[in-house]
Formats: sequence, C-alpha cells, structure tokens
Amino acid sequence: MKLVNKHIEKDGSGYVTLRPEDDEDMWHVYNLISEGDHVRALAVRRVQTLSSTGSSDSFRVKTNLTLEVTKTAFSPAASSSQSNGTGEKKEPTASLQISGKVVEENEFVKLGAYHTLDLEANRDFRLTKTSGWDSIALERIQESTQEGRGAELGAIVCGEGTAAICLLSEHMTTVRQRIEVSVPRKRKGGTSGHEKAMENFLSTVYQAILRLIPYQDLKAVVIASPGFTKDTLYDYIFQQANLTSNKPLLSSRSKWIKVHSNTSHVHGLVEALRAPEVAKMLQGAKFAREGVGLDKFHKMLATDELRAWYGPEHVALAVDRGAVGTLLISDDLFRSSDPATRNHYVAMVEAVRSKGGEALIFSSMHESGQQLNLLTGIAAILTYPLDIEVVEMEEREERERLDKEKNGGGNEEE
Amino acid sequence: MLTNNQFSAAKAAKAASITQKSASLPGKPRTQTGTTPKSKLQPKTQPNSPVNSTSKAGSSGSNTPTNKGSGSKSPLTVAQQDLAGLHLDQEVDLEAEKEKYKERAALSMKTEELIAKVRKEEEESGKKNISLIVVGHVDAGKSTLMGRLLYDIGELSEKEKTANERGSKKIGKGSFAFAWGLDALGDERDRGVTIDIATTHFTTPHRNYTLLDAPGHRDFIPAMISGAAQADVALMVVDGSPGEFEAGFERGGQTREHAWLVRSLGVKEIIVGINKMDLVSWSQDRYEEIVEALKPFLLSAGFASAKTTFMPLAAMEGINILENDVEELKEWYNGPTLISALDKVEVPPRPYESPLRIPVSNVFKGQTAIASGVAVSGRLCSGVVQVGDRLRAVPGDEVATVRTIEVDEDSSPYAVSGQNVTLYLSGIDSINLSIGTILCPTSLPVPLVSKFTTQILVFDLQSPIIIGTSVELFHHSVNLPATVSRLVNVLEKGQVTKKNPRVLQKGMTATIEITLRSTSNNNARIPIETSQQNKEMGRVLIRRNGETIAAGEYYLYLRSSIR
Repeated sequence: MKLVNKHIEKDGSGYVTLRPEDDEDMWHVYNLISEGDHVRALAVRRVQTLSSTGSSDSFRVKTNLTLEVTKTAFSPAASSSQSNGTGEKKEPTASLQISGKVVEENEFVKLGAYHTLDLEANRDFRLTKTSGWDSIALERIQESTQEGRGAELGAIVCGEGTAAICLLSEHMTTVRQRIEVSVPRKRKGGTSGHEKAMENFLSTVYQAILRLIPYQDLKAVVIASPGFTKDTLYDYIFQQANLTSNKPLLSSRSKWIKVHSNTSHVHGLVEALRAPEVAKMLQGAKFAREGVGLDKFHKMLATDELRAWYGPEHVALAVDRGAVGTLLISDDLFRSSDPATRNHYVAMVEAVRSKGGEALIFSSMHESGQQLNLLTGIAAILTYPLDIEVVEMEEREERERLDKEKNGGGNEEE
Repeated sequence: MLTNNQFSAAKAAKAASITQKSASLPGKPRTQTGTTPKSKLQPKTQPNSPVNSTSKAGSSGSNTPTNKGSGSKSPLTVAQQDLAGLHLDQEVDLEAEKEKYKERAALSMKTEELIAKVRKEEEESGKKNISLIVVGHVDAGKSTLMGRLLYDIGELSEKEKTANERGSKKIGKGSFAFAWGLDALGDERDRGVTIDIATTHFTTPHRNYTLLDAPGHRDFIPAMISGAAQADVALMVVDGSPGEFEAGFERGGQTREHAWLVRSLGVKEIIVGINKMDLVSWSQDRYEEIVEALKPFLLSAGFASAKTTFMPLAAMEGINILENDVEELKEWYNGPTLISALDKVEVPPRPYESPLRIPVSNVFKGQTAIASGVAVSGRLCSGVVQVGDRLRAVPGDEVATVRTIEVDEDSSPYAVSGQNVTLYLSGIDSINLSIGTILCPTSLPVPLVSKFTTQILVFDLQSPIIIGTSVELFHHSVNLPATVSRLVNVLEKGQVTKKNPRVLQKGMTATIEITLRSTSNNNARIPIETSQQNKEMGRVLIRRNGETIAAGEYYLYLRSSIR
C-alpha cells in the first residue's frame, strides 16, 4: 500500500490518503475503516434526471463521494482466479465494499443519499477518522505501507484424498482451493482402485498447484501432511515437472519444503509453520510470531495455569494489575462497531506496552488468529502467577467497599 | 420374491384404478414404493384384490373423500378447493397414517422372523460372529503375527506365501514376508509400515472372526480408530525384545494410546501377546517383567483383570499361535495358545432389534460380474439388513437399494449387527456416498447435528482443554475439524462439582459442547445419535496435535440441566 498523503494533528484528528495495491492491502483497509469514519473515493453513481416534460433520463457519472461508513464487507477472494498456468503473480482478487450516507453534497448526489463504494486496487481514497486516530490504527498504516514487507508463502495441507491449497501473506491466509477426491481404502483382493484414485488425486492437486501457486514469487512452498502423502506428492510434482520439462518449476525446487503435520485439515497449518525448517525460511514473519505466541500460551497453560489467562474480563483484570507479559489479541476486537469497546482494547494494548510487555495483534485471516478468536479473541501470558479466583474475590470486595463508601457518604449527608 | 411381471401388473392395476376415479389426481410415489415390501409378504392377495386397490387410490389422492361425497352434486367452493390443495383433509390423513402404520408393522414382522432365524442358527452351529482388532506400537509385529496366523490356519495359501517371500526378499525386506499377506498397498510394502486397516476373516472352532489389522504408526491412528470402532475384542501385540517394549510403553509410544482408544470405543476384552520372545530366548523373567508393567496399566485403562489374557508369542516362528511346541517355553508356560484364547472370547449381545445403522468405512467400485457397481463396506452397529432393503444414506437425501450382501467374501441374503459386510447398492451414485456416511432405514434416519454436548473423560495431555481448543472429532471412520465451544461442567462420580470451568486437566470427567468447524462454503454436520439411543453411534474421540486427548459419549441434555 502506498501512503499518498497524511495529515494527522496531535489530537488525533485528520486524514490519510492511501492507495491499496494487493489483496493484503484490502485487508488492512478493512481493518482501518470502522463505523462512523468518513471515506472519500471515486464512485460510479447512477443519476436520474426528470425533464420539464416529465420524461426521465438516467446516466452514470464518475464522481468523488464522501461517505459516513455504516457497513463494511470484505471478501478475500471475490473473483475466481484467472489461470495463466505460469505460476506468476495474479491481479488482486479481494474486494471491499463500504456502504454509508453521503456527507458532502455535489451536483449529482444529494446530502444523506446512500451509496455503496467498491474500493479498488491502485485507486486512492481518503480516510478521516471522526473518533480520532489511535495508536493501533497508526501502527497498522505504518506496517502496511512499509516497502518490501513480509514473507509470502504457499502451503498445501494434504492427506489421502484431501488437500487444501493456501496462500499466506503477512496478514492473510487464503484457502485458494479445497480438493476432495474419494479414495477407496485398501481391501482384500486388489488395490487397483486405491492406486487409480490416488493417481487421479495427485494429478488434480498438481494441476491446482500450477494454476494457483505463484511459486516464482513466493519465498517458500510448504507441503504438510501426516504419513507419507507429502513425500508422494512432492515426488509426483517433480516427476511431472520433469516430464513436461517445466523449467520454472524445476528451478524452484529448493523452495519446496516437506513438513510433517498431524492432521490433513487446514488447522494443521499452524503446526506446520512452527516446524524449524519453515521457521528458518520465514525469519520472524508476523504469522510465524503469532503461531509461536499461541503455542507459548498453550504451553504456559499446561505448565502453570495461573500464568495463562484468557477472556476479555479476566485479561482486563490482569492488565490492571500490570501482570501481563505477552498480550495476544485478535484484530477482530478492534473492528468492533462500538468506539468505546475499541478504545477499551486500544487502552489495554497501550497499557501493556507502556509496562514493557509485548502485545501481539493477531490477524484473524490467519489460522492462528482464528484459533485465538475461538478462544474469546484475547489471551495473556502473565509475568507472575495470579489466581483468578483470588483476583475476582478482591475485585468483589473492592466493589463492595466502594459501594459502602458511597452509601456511607450518602448517609453522612443526610 | 415377487417377479417383475407380477410387480408391473400390480402397478398397472393401481394406475388403472386411479385413472378411473379421477384423472387429475397424481398418485403419490411414496405409497407405491411403500407397498413393495408388503406385496413381497403376501404376493397372492396383492395384485388384483379390488378392496386393496380402492383404498390405495383413496389414499393417494388427497381430497377424494370430499369429492366422493359432494363432488358430483355441488361443486366445491373456491375456499374449499384451496384447503383441499393444502392436504388438510383430516379423513384422508388418518387413512394415510393407517396405511403407513400397516407397512411398518409388516416390515418389522419380517425382520422379527429373520432375527428369530438368525438366533436359532447361531444356537445350532454354536458359531458366533466377532471382530478382532490388532493393536500395538509400531513394529511390534502385528501384521507379521496376523500373517502367520492366517497361514497356520490355512487362510493364506502356500502359493501366496512363497510369492510374498520372494517379493519381500527382492527389495531386501525378507522379514516382512508374513506382513505382506496383509500389507497390500504399494507404499506399505515399500516402507514396511502398515498404513491402513486390513480386513480379512478366519474361523476358530466356535467363532467367526473378522480380523482388522491396525497400523501402529502414530500418523495413521485415524485408520486405527476406524478399525477399533468396528471391533469387539482387541489383541495387543507388544515387542518383548530388550528395550523395545519400554519404547512402546513410555509416553509417546503407541501402546498406551491404543489401549485407551480401544477401551473407549467399547472393547471390553483384551488379549496381550508378548511377541518376539524367541529373541530373549524365552526368558520367563522378561515375560513376567512385561506382564507386571502392563497389568496395572490395563486395569487403570478400564480392562477388568478377568478380561485380560497374557501370552508369550513368536510370530515369525509361529510359536504359541496354534500350538506351543518349544521346550524352553513349555517349561514355564502352560496357558492358552493364541487360537484357543481367541476361541473363548465372550461375544457381546447384539442389538438386532434396534434400527439399522451401518457407518460406512469404505466406498469403492466392485469389479467382478456379480459384484459390480457402487459398493460400500462397514460394520452393522445395530439392526439387520437384507437384500432388497431400501437404505437412506445420511448425510444426503439419497436412497439406495441393497443389491447384494457380502459377508466374509461370500454372498449372503442378509446380515446382522456385529458383522462386517460389503453391500452392493443400486439406485445411488457413488458421489453421494463417502467414508463416514451412515446407512439407515428410510423410516428411521440418523439425525444430523453441527453442535452437541458430550460427556468426556480427559486423557493424558500436553496442555489442558480450554474454550476454543481446536480438535479433531472422530466418529467411526470419519474425522472432522471441530472446536470445544463450551466447558459446561466438571463431574465427579456423576455429580457436578464445578460449573463453567476455565480449563480441563488430565483425568477429569466433564461435559463439554463441541461445534464442528464449518468452512466458508459448507456447513459441517455429522450424523450421530445419543448414547441413550444407540451406544455405538454415540461414541466419539477427540484428538489434538496427533494425540488423543479425550473420549466421550454424546448425551442429549435438557437445556435447563446444563445451565
């Protein structure tokens, strides 16, 4: 994404002009825009005019509109892929729609009219935050406008007869295709059915890989599976590449990594990315850090339950006590339509960082983020053990004391 | 059987009677299909009986009675016609209900006769059907032991054996010759590891055994679970050679996990074969040492000591399988041989009377002349099935007809619960069937759920279960990604000790809610029944990161009782 213009005052008011360039940028924009913000972008509007004789005429105009956002919708892969078969980078496919009321009138559109904008790649838009720019939003802009950011990775999670072909970027995992071929299991009296079906399965996956994985641009392509399927697939890919003398594929051979995973479902991806071979390739990419963070949390939960907390209320209590060493928080929570809720979480992140803690903001477009979402969206690893029940009791007592004081104060007045 | 001729005659008669009454009323297709089993029972009265066909026509048309009474004299008002179109006419509904009831009664009478017949035959021959799963740590010699057993019994021919011996020697894996009798896949033979369940059968004097040879490697536990769900008794093979038993028994070895798995999938009896005893020159001390280590563990895993048998074995040499003919062993061991132990295993009672349930474990295309077309195999959890039965494949709306039933590679007119069968189906496309489909009667399908409460026992695990834990749910042969969406309560001896716990630790019994993870384009649902309804259909296993973390049973709770 390109930052075209930025004008933000000390008090957090102001605007930025951005130019999204790929799918991931669209995801950033989706996370930046919240309800109530003003977005100015080029729109195509159908205008109807009524002539003096009563005949109506309608035409389309391109005009700049400013909307007060009421709804945003993001879809990671709107159009199905254009296949060029060369394993090269594609046009962006994600789409982002923004609906809202027009807040600046022009000659075509009245004030208060509704419009739905389609934000497009390589087209500028201006975003004004009415509630003010907070540190999380600014951080995201900085992150997303950095040049040459992030690792891009292809991944195939497979088992006998099932495969999911995924593309991972810094903030997004897109499952480009799920393949399911029914493979008969072994049976007394011949395994030809199994072998035929496996051959069919492998060739289906191979074709999909050629179509969907731009291996020339990727840092690495991971094949993950339980058992021997990964070896079978890997061998098949390069055997086919040899047969068809697919030079680009053959020369990318060093990028392909076989990793063991315990399941053939997509959630095996988290595990696969933790494997040392892959981690080395990624070198501190964001999604790798997220996976490690989540893993740490689970390990802490196993070794010292009192130092691993989750759930918004509980984590808030831990933050109040300055006990949080690592905060894991999903970007889902920042997308809340209620600014108060968002501010609450922003304050939490700032509090943790100010005390020297680490705050990891998980992207919910990644498998690890989704797992965090399922786990209420927020979790924390504490620096020292705290018993949740003791803390809750303290809180209760504190509240009672405050209540008493209040009541006591009231009595004195009387 | 009703011949084609008779059937079409019956159809024609019915069609004729309908056209006579009122040409505009379409016959309900369901009534037609419903009569098929009935006509089979009473072929004499069915085709031409006038009483029968009148009542048929009456029920197939929705508003005939009203028409009969007043139709010719005063035409129906518009409102009346509309109502008639809504099938609200009660009189007809009652008629239809009666018809349905009759059909079902006829069906169940037929099955009752069959059940009585099966019971009688079982008593006469004294042979009972039973399924055996062979489990144990990788390379304990499960496949080799079974290959040897089949060869000794005569199920594996001399010719096959020599072919396997030659083949395995060729690639330098001569010791796998017996295992090749079961490891048929190319990958399995190349790598010397069982990957998928091998199903075969053998007989002992008093039992018909279905043998399921499970893979021991941890990556293939899904296949092993699929097999264990079909088994009644387990044969656990442990490696007796120095160091190997310990490797398989320690944390991370498969011995423990397998024992837990088979027990929680309903296996009550276990035979432990301590294999490769020839490598320690039949040392009694070694044998005792292993037995002492395993006994308390198996007891804690839930196997009663009366249901646990230990025996020394040497699979490669075939010692103590059919008979014990080694002097060193005879000196201190006079217990049963493998075959005699297997012959005495108790057969659990079979739920013949319950509605039919067949969880499909394999779908393939039959290739021989008599057995062609879509074929499925699986084990009957409950009920009975006969050739000609119409079965519903759940999930899905498809109905198939059973064309041929194969039990132990022989065709059979029927199969009963507890048997592993291959069914050849007609009237269904194979895309509507997959591993995990449940075949059931059209009248009593299995419900589909996407979220359910289950009572679980938490096993040894690395990190505790919390809300949102991503798991894989295993139910018979299918495994699906799922999430623990709620921790409802913790139980101790059936009493709730804590509500809404934060975490579940090792050894806890708890009630949790599981939600299947749906992908963007499909809403995942699983056919499952509560344990109250059908024990075998309610069992689930929960795994995470390649370890089994809990076993559970699906219970239906009233909303109020879990809040």
